[in-house]
Amino acid sequence: MGERIVVIGAVAAGTKAAARARRLDAGAAITVLTEENDVSYAGCGLPYYVGNVIKERRELVVRDPESFKADDSIEIMTRTRAASIDRERKRVIAVDLDDGREFEVHYDALVLATGAKAILPDVPGIHLDGVFTLRSVADADLLKSFIGARAPRSAAVVGGGFIGLETAENLASLGIGVTLIEMMEHFPPGFDPDVSALIGNCVRENGVTVLAGERVAAIEGSRGLVQSVRTSGGSVEADLVVMAVGVRPNTGLAMEAGLGVSRNGAILVDEFMRTTDPQIYAVGDCAATTNLLTGDGAWFPLGSTANKMGRIAGSRAGRSDGGAGSSQSLKGVLGTSIFKVFGLNCGRTGMTLRESLDRGHDAVSCTVPAPDRAHYYPGARDIIVRLIADRSTRRVLGAQVVGSGVVDKPVDILATAITLGATVDDLATLDLAYAPPYSSAMAPTITAANVLLNKMDGLLEGITAFALKARLGDPELLLLDVRSEPEFIVSHIDGSVNIPVEELVARVGEVDRSKEIVVICRVGKRAYRAYLALKARGFDRVEILDGGMCAYPYDTV
Amino acid sequence: MAERYVNCKGLQCPGPLVQVAREARGAATGDILVVEATDIGFKKDVAAWAGKTGNELLTLEEADGVITVRIRVSR
Repeated sequence: MGERIVVIGAVAAGTKAAARARRLDAGAAITVLTEENDVSYAGCGLPYYVGNVIKERRELVVRDPESFKADDSIEIMTRTRAASIDRERKRVIAVDLDDGREFEVHYDALVLATGAKAILPDVPGIHLDGVFTLRSVADADLLKSFIGARAPRSAAVVGGGFIGLETAENLASLGIGVTLIEMMEHFPPGFDPDVSALIGNCVRENGVTVLAGERVAAIEGSRGLVQSVRTSGGSVEADLVVMAVGVRPNTGLAMEAGLGVSRNGAILVDEFMRTTDPQIYAVGDCAATTNLLTGDGAWFPLGSTANKMGRIAGSRAGRSDGGAGSSQSLKGVLGTSIFKVFGLNCGRTGMTLRESLDRGHDAVSCTVPAPDRAHYYPGARDIIVRLIADRSTRRVLGAQVVGSGVVDKPVDILATAITLGATVDDLATLDLAYAPPYSSAMAPTITAANVLLNKMDGLLEGITAFALKARLGDPELLLLDVRSEPEFIVSHIDGSVNIPVEELVARVGEVDRSKEIVVICRVGKRAYRAYLALKARGFDRVEILDGGMCAYPYDTV
Repeated sequence: MAERYVNCKGLQCPGPLVQVAREARGAATGDILVVEATDIGFKKDVAAWAGKTGNELLTLEEADGVITVRIRVSR
């Protein structure tokens, strides 16, 4: 008789653990318990299923229980709730949700993959018809059939995280008027405020009404059906509400069993995914992890992390003798993530500028717009790279990349660099692939690294859009826009003065030396030329607007 | 009233806008500028520029990667 491996949860991490265990242990008895009907589905695809981008439900479901049984001899018991764990006797007490029958399942190794649950805030009206979450295929089915039956004209999406933004886009694509309500002033999380403001602008430009910094006070309706959402700022008509305010690790079972739980509420695990009971593993959205940069406990409920965790736990469970394949571990993650909202691609990794400063780093950042491939190659689109490093260690700390061009490549390059402890100097000289259809001779990541090196070496000073906005109106500040006159006419920051860079040397007498000068152009290149010209003429308080007007997300005239 | 063709194809931002502004300055009131450009940012920029300078954007078309605008010079 082989090992008995039991997995609780059958979405990404659970099925990954089961499949990996099978590959390493042909003789094990592997059983997976899940409350749901669907297994192994692509939870991240749900907003696109709602928006009919993914048309067939079965495209979302990677495998079914029959195929696990036939191909891998893995027994998946759907509609089965794991009620409790008897750690002493190594048994899971399970309940068949169809007939209420209770039974026990023995385990030698147990993998908890209980996932995370959508948070439902405790506000009046939350249980009205027409209020949805979007976490499981079943949630998506309910939402889709409601849309089909009721043809809602308006929708409120509560929460400006990735799911909220993706859902807003997909509902809007169905012709529904969408209002996005977000409690925080800046969203989504993981981006610096001026970068996230670019994302917010894109959402607004695509017709979504954004209410930032507003709380939901109540959901209101009549005859049980939702009609509007009352916020701290007013009232919004809504035939449909999607609550996407976040998720919470689903750890009730683990806590009742006395397993250790981290401060952020997720199940504590070591780098091999072992909980405080070495016979029990936890993987996926229910499990805690470590922030690779800080070494602190962290929790990133992301499909990419969940799959890696599942594989590692599966390896250990399938090779309980410590044999080949069981040594893989997960030291931690950077919270690398990416999403698309309307035409904008948005990715991030590591720490934001704000987090870096909060943690006491001597942090320095740059913001660099650049084409995603040779600017003359058809299809070239701009992206904006925000790169953050520590001035004293010269290590790369984090990055955010947004734009209509390719952002996944720079984000992945930067995640790799940070993971391997690269300095900005390393990054600036990486041997990256180049031909016109793919990149520039100086790739966007390399250009950004060079701008940051200039700053670190004292060759250039800059101010972020966020910092500049906070100082607008300061009489000490002179905003010097060095673009051409027609560009200046199209839009500029209120109060700025226009002297095109070509005329600057001749007109330098017009520039007030007693002021702190912020030089502004479209992307930063002409501003740097002007910066050097002013510095060479004895101006000492000069800086450029990082990323220029291209990355400036605030009001212009 | 004359119609002038302005070829901005292949020019990068801000090249097309700068050239259109220069041609408009040299043109007489009522002249039509027919501008072709390939820089994608030109669409948004030229519309905003025309609006703010009082020149009239008559048409804006895009085909095969070429943006064609007709502007009536109004000042």
